[in-house]
Amino acid sequence: MSFSPVFNRRRFAVGTLAALVAVGSGFVAAPRTADAHEADCPLCQLKVVQDTPTQDNEVALRFGRKRIEYRCVWCALTEAQTDFPKGNLTILAPSEIKGKPVLISRTDGSWSTGPTSAVFLGVNAGHKSCPITYRAFSGQAAFDAYVKKTGGAVKGAKPLTLTQLLATTKSA
Amino acid sequence: MKRTFFAPLVAAGALLAVTAAQGSADAPAPVLPPLPQNLPGWIKNKDVNHLFYQRGRYNFAVYSVKPLAYDLNAVAVGHAMAYEDMVTGKAGRLEGETYRKIDRVLKNPPRLMPAEASLSPTFGRRFGVLEQVFDWTHTLHAQTVDVLASDNLTDAQKDAEIERLYQNYRTTVPYAVTSLPMNMGYLYGQSYSKGFRNNYPKTNGLFWGYHWLQGVMYDALYQRTPEQQRSAYEIIGEQYRKTELYRTNRPFMPMFAEVSPRFAARFPHLANVFDNLHMIHDMVNDILVTPGLTTEQQDAQIERALWLCLEAAHPGEKPGDAREPGGLHDHRFMEGMPGMGLMPGGTKSLMYMTTGGMGWMNMSECHHCSMPLPEGKDSWKASTVTADGWTMRVRCALCARDMSLETKGRAILHLATEDPAKPVIVFSDTEGNLRTDSKNAVFLEAEASHAGCSDWSQAFSNQAAFNAFVAANPEYKRSKPLTFAQWSTREGKKPDTYYRPEGPVENPFASEANQKQGAGKEAAKP
Repeated sequence: MSFSPVFNRRRFAVGTLAALVAVGSGFVAAPRTADAHEADCPLCQLKVVQDTPTQDNEVALRFGRKRIEYRCVWCALTEAQTDFPKGNLTILAPSEIKGKPVLISRTDGSWSTGPTSAVFLGVNAGHKSCPITYRAFSGQAAFDAYVKKTGGAVKGAKPLTLTQLLATTKSA
Repeated sequence: MKRTFFAPLVAAGALLAVTAAQGSADAPAPVLPPLPQNLPGWIKNKDVNHLFYQRGRYNFAVYSVKPLAYDLNAVAVGHAMAYEDMVTGKAGRLEGETYRKIDRVLKNPPRLMPAEASLSPTFGRRFGVLEQVFDWTHTLHAQTVDVLASDNLTDAQKDAEIERLYQNYRTTVPYAVTSLPMNMGYLYGQSYSKGFRNNYPKTNGLFWGYHWLQGVMYDALYQRTPEQQRSAYEIIGEQYRKTELYRTNRPFMPMFAEVSPRFAARFPHLANVFDNLHMIHDMVNDILVTPGLTTEQQDAQIERALWLCLEAAHPGEKPGDAREPGGLHDHRFMEGMPGMGLMPGGTKSLMYMTTGGMGWMNMSECHHCSMPLPEGKDSWKASTVTADGWTMRVRCALCARDMSLETKGRAILHLATEDPAKPVIVFSDTEGNLRTDSKNAVFLEAEASHAGCSDWSQAFSNQAAFNAFVAANPEYKRSKPLTFAQWSTREGKKPDTYYRPEGPVENPFASEANQKQGAGKEAAKP
């Protein structure tokens, strides 16, 4: 059922050229290339901040074969309890190490993290900054370094355990 | 009656407004658009003309998908109850008592289609022609759905019968809604627009929920077996009853092609008729709840709104025409989708979808990999994914599968094969486990750049078709056919060609009243 890839590649090139012309004429902003299909966060409706070459930002919830992306770990944890109340799941929360997320698992109703030393930043500063103020870290040292470097809304923040972070989602 | 008898609309500069002569007691009279000078006399007709179905052995076949039939019966009640309140001075109870009454009906739908005239007698007496336009177009809705649900017609016969019904619809009486793509920004940009949405959000949400259902049902039934139709509606009906009826944060009505892009691509004229019908509903609702209008002003504005959307007002005009860019006679359509007029706040190539967090999208491109979709006579070669209230066209089987995995909830995948009559229909459960009843289907998946995904990722109705493709395309001679079980457990890489379109502004609806309120989960922010 292919439909002439050569023709379509030509159309793609023409389309891209048209987009650039449109940009030049002020009709649309430049399309932004990305590595992934992007949808807004299902919870807060704001854009999921994409990973960069040096830092991961996309939070993913794995439920069976589903992989749903969120803007921050708080959004994912909240929906894990409202939209996926039953069954096992895993949340991949970006850590300070590129490619090594903190794994938050719910197995038979019990929550755990991998590594067990993981701690979380959870500062309520609104969803506009939730990818900055809700994050996971492999341990306290990484947390301290992040808080010191970031400052602003997270200045003086204390690390949260998973249980403490979960409690903030339930009280929201 | 001959359509040529009616004088054309003479409303040059329709946006030039005149102040309404008399407003009611304490509300300020809005600035109303001028009335067309040559409205046909019949538009004021109050006599009842009973119009009924064309004969057909398929009539009422919708009852083979009983939950759909029942939901549609309840829609008729919901429409009628709300309208009766609006014309009897009881709009104040729409969001309370009447809403609860309607909701009770929606949750306990009637087993047979009710006679709307008995539920909204005042409305019917006052708006004779409008009621008949509604009835006549609802009949088209009903009969086309019956055709699709019929189990004794082939797909080709169904296509032909739908076309015959449409021709009968537009030529028998002068009540046909235009099949032109209309500029939705213009129609929903009248001085009275959005009042119903902003002030009666729950009842308006129900209306838009009905219209969502009346759109989504087409792709749910189109080119599907009776069993597939029932399975599809099990998912769609749940989405409708649990979510779509109660959305209050849509800035604009759901468009037909948003939810049934395959049917809209095949029958763009019908998609436009139904969108225009739904827009008439919105305009009428807004007029009836606008404060400060006299009964005469309401009647006159409703006659105007109706006339703007009737076929009789657009003689000789064609899809793509733009005699009045941005105005009534702007019939450009969304790029890649002739069955959809230009959307408010968008561009010709980009529309903003609020559902599913989609944002800006181009209907001529795969939403998973951004590569161009087949168009025109080849449009059937696009696959679709239905999930979370939307239906997206995608370019290949992998895009369909992976997009469904990236979306919460159950999903329906319609995978095109080498044969337009033999699509592979796949259902996903909430965990992304896939099933199909296409036992002989096999798949090619030789993942590479998505520039060529319509070649290297394909579904075939059987092994012979796969073999024929490989024989004709020796670059795939090393590829083995994947069974459904093998294919359904795969997951592709992130498409290398994807880009997220960005429109003229981040969100054209951000300042809309119902968006400012926040809705749904956004209210639960930290």
